[in-house]
Amino acid sequence: MGSGRIFRVSLNAFVALVFVFLVTPMFVIVPLSFTSVSVLIYPLPGLSLRWYWDFFNNPLWTQAIRNSLLLGVTVSLLATALGTAAALGLTASRSRFKPLIFALLVSPLVVPVVITAVAAFYFFSALGIAGSFAGLVLGHTILATPFVIVTVSATMQGFDRNLIRAAASLGAPPLIVLQRVIAPLVWPGLMSGALFAFAISFDELVMALFLASPELRTLPRQIFSGVSESISPTIAAAAVVLVAVSTGLMLAVELLRRRAEGLTAQASTS
Amino acid sequence: MTCCHGWPARLAMTIALLAFTGPLAAQDSITVVSNGGSIADAQRTAFVVPFTKATGIRVVEDVFNQELAKIRTQVETKNIQWDVVSVTAINEATGCDEGLLEPVDWSRYLDAKQFEGVGGFGKCGVPHNFVSGGLAYDGDKIKDPPKSWADFWDVKKYPGKRGLLYRAEQTLEVALMADGVEPKDVMTILSGPGGVDRAFKKLAEIKPYVHWWKSGDESMQILLSGDVTMTYAWNGRVAAANKANNRNLKIAFAPGHVSGSQIYAIMKGTPKKELAIKYITFAAQPEPQAAFARAISYAPANEAAYKFMTDAEKATLPQGYLDRGSLQSGPVYFNFWLDKGDEVLQRFIKFAAQ
Amino acid sequence: MSRSTTGTSIAALVRKAELRRERRLLAIAAPAITFVLVFFVLPIGLFLFRSVDNPEVHGSLPRTLTALHQWDRTTLPDEQAFAALVADLRALRGKPELAMLARRLNYDVSGFRSVIIRSGRLAEQGLPPYRKWLIANEPAWGDVTYWGAIRNEASPLTDFYLLAAFDLRRLSNGSIAPASNENALFRDLFARTFWISFTVTVLCLIVGFPVAAVIAHARPKVANLLLILVLLPFWSSLLVRATAWIVLLQDEGLINQALIALGLIARPIRLVFNRIGLTIAMTHVLLPFMILPLYSVLRGIPQGQMRAAASLGAKPVIAFLRVYLPQALPGIVAGSTLVFVISLGYYVAPALVGGPRDQMIGYFVAYFTNSTVNWGMASALGTLLLVIVALIYAALARTIGLERLRAQ
Repeated sequence: MGSGRIFRVSLNAFVALVFVFLVTPMFVIVPLSFTSVSVLIYPLPGLSLRWYWDFFNNPLWTQAIRNSLLLGVTVSLLATALGTAAALGLTASRSRFKPLIFALLVSPLVVPVVITAVAAFYFFSALGIAGSFAGLVLGHTILATPFVIVTVSATMQGFDRNLIRAAASLGAPPLIVLQRVIAPLVWPGLMSGALFAFAISFDELVMALFLASPELRTLPRQIFSGVSESISPTIAAAAVVLVAVSTGLMLAVELLRRRAEGLTAQASTS
Repeated sequence: MTCCHGWPARLAMTIALLAFTGPLAAQDSITVVSNGGSIADAQRTAFVVPFTKATGIRVVEDVFNQELAKIRTQVETKNIQWDVVSVTAINEATGCDEGLLEPVDWSRYLDAKQFEGVGGFGKCGVPHNFVSGGLAYDGDKIKDPPKSWADFWDVKKYPGKRGLLYRAEQTLEVALMADGVEPKDVMTILSGPGGVDRAFKKLAEIKPYVHWWKSGDESMQILLSGDVTMTYAWNGRVAAANKANNRNLKIAFAPGHVSGSQIYAIMKGTPKKELAIKYITFAAQPEPQAAFARAISYAPANEAAYKFMTDAEKATLPQGYLDRGSLQSGPVYFNFWLDKGDEVLQRFIKFAAQ
Repeated sequence: MSRSTTGTSIAALVRKAELRRERRLLAIAAPAITFVLVFFVLPIGLFLFRSVDNPEVHGSLPRTLTALHQWDRTTLPDEQAFAALVADLRALRGKPELAMLARRLNYDVSGFRSVIIRSGRLAEQGLPPYRKWLIANEPAWGDVTYWGAIRNEASPLTDFYLLAAFDLRRLSNGSIAPASNENALFRDLFARTFWISFTVTVLCLIVGFPVAAVIAHARPKVANLLLILVLLPFWSSLLVRATAWIVLLQDEGLINQALIALGLIARPIRLVFNRIGLTIAMTHVLLPFMILPLYSVLRGIPQGQMRAAASLGAKPVIAFLRVYLPQALPGIVAGSTLVFVISLGYYVAPALVGGPRDQMIGYFVAYFTNSTVNWGMASALGTLLLVIVALIYAALARTIGLERLRAQ
């Protein structure tokens, strides 16, 4: 069928083009961050590392990096603690309120971020914590926790309750059951969730626009200011670093998630 | 006669105050907030560094984009992180009225006459520089310079696009000047009956050719790249763009300019009020003022500072054209923009969006 | 159900144990639930409330409002109202509430701000009869419009902001009328936001459907790789992608250079800071949200069906429309809804990549929060956005529910 072949070839060509569309913009920025001049145009007149040097030495940027890292770790800890507990409790529950509670916990994903951010800004202003580190941590945790819950819940889907009963029937006290049976299976999912939460916080812009005071500038916030004014190669370098970190993290998240799902599936079939 | 009467004493007192308390204040610090970018850099070289050297008081710098909400939040929650803020004249008037800024009798520390040309002291603040928006063009590309805003509107004589600020304030004033209104009458006409309509009607004529710019950097980018033939721009940005890119951009004040001061004010309720006053009065002295004007190419607020500047430095300054300006100060200006500002801005946004 | 001799049934014991278990599980999940309630639901509730909150007039002009209670709203109020007004203004002297009252009333009647501020200063010197004195010194008070505005805002709750969000306002006699034409921008704003979201959704569908289909029917290893390629841009922040597009689409950018090199255009065309750039950037960002749900649905459509249809004599197009598409529909609906709703709420993308003609609702929520500090207006717009999003998701849930019912 000649027409079938033509169709198939053009379909594949179209899809290939779309993939080019999807992936190239990111790669466009990378070489530009190594340009030797102060404007972002191709072809590159020369290569230079000065923008990265500027990025890692300019106090404006180093403080932003420091803030983003500190914030990310704190948010990750808080969101993972809250989210994993919630996921464990919910997946084991057979209550008829379960869908409702799950929907409630996941609702921050549904509301446009700008609304959550503005609402948090008003609320935290009344509490006096708008612009403080605590305020920003809380704001990011609201956004990150649903992701942790979804990630950990997904890895708990294949979890076989019988494992716990088997261990108990063999005489293991609850704490040992937790340590030896539950934890190893939950651990990769939990790590995955933790990295996800960190990545969410590290990348997050809208909340930071409203809740961060100038001392508390995060990396995305700093990039945004730069982009709004004029895009210099330092901005490009900052963007490349941001992308490298988040992509690396998300890749790790994805791999851990697959491993976690594989583990729980294995454990239940063996 | 009443001019310089007390100023030597005042100056001596200020310097003595600074010198005396200098060593004692070794551990003190204040936070000074500005719009950032090149303004912050100039502030650092002209005010912050010399101030710390003279008094030992450390200055932490910060940035904001004139969001009154940030000031309001700090004052209302009594969680004051900033001490001195650099605000536009309107924000000083609004903030002062709403109890967000400290009222200070500045004539106790400074000579009011020296600041008259730029609009004088506010109830809560002291001007620290004078920003002028005028008609900017590329001196290498345009040999027959435009002489009026009507020339700016004349796309046949000067073909190409135009840059205008994406804001109602300043743009409407320029539109009226293009319609033949004298700069000193612009605010009266604008706030009078039919003034706003007249300005929008004039803007509609040039709208198809306008590139609306949102930031000082953008205004220079479009002129440097040749995207626009002429643009409304702030004089300091023009000088900075020339320096950084080795170009010959020019700014004309004779057609009429819109100028106003940036004002230093003190956050209401800050525990460091005395230190803040010290900083502000230091920055208002002629030499730091000249240094700031030199660094940023905006005019000094203190007229006595011109003595310390060379002719070359005064090239992009409106000295000599102060009467060609629509001043962003005074009751007519404040009342109009405070009362009608939101409404007019909303109309402008709709106008630009169509 | 057997009862043991002690009287309690086994069923009851099991039920009690179940309850205990559920309570323990709930306790484990409780911190997260409390967190979401306190730091998410509560702030949003307060935010919604702010769109109707009206503390300024009713808090600062209590005596005046009492005096205006019986007012007919068409003729000027009597001496009692004027006296009450002067008393209220005196009580406000030197307080920040005066400026906030001035600003609030200025939303209703442009120019009211200076009237209030001036009257606040004048109030000290007032002597009865106040009506004559006040009108002589501040003529605005002789205009029913101003009194009407005060009367309109008497209640602690107001519909002012919500009406304004629909480009409506109240006249001094209380009736609702359209806002002046030059300022009426919110209906256009919503229309524009919907249109942009719709365009982006359609583009994502056209571009994303073939991609999802190819991934769904590819060999597992290939599918895996392709999925990672889809997720790759998805994992990097919106900010970076927007920046990349600005660099690509600018006048000196690669796209324009390529087009000029190919001889298609002579001078660079404006591709960024306008609708074109915004649409491209948003489509790029939202494509994964279309591809992923579509992929998970298409994966479940057996390949064999299309071949069976062909062997029965159906032309490929007919087979596609009759066999493939109906089964793909849930994925199309899910993906489209997701893309549409997410783009409705976008704020950063239009701010960075769009021009003055492309600003969406999210931008104005932020604008009213930060620049003009009109939190009432910001909340009103945000509330409308939230209601629209909620309605769309509810409709989606209903359709999915119906689908499930029909499948049974």
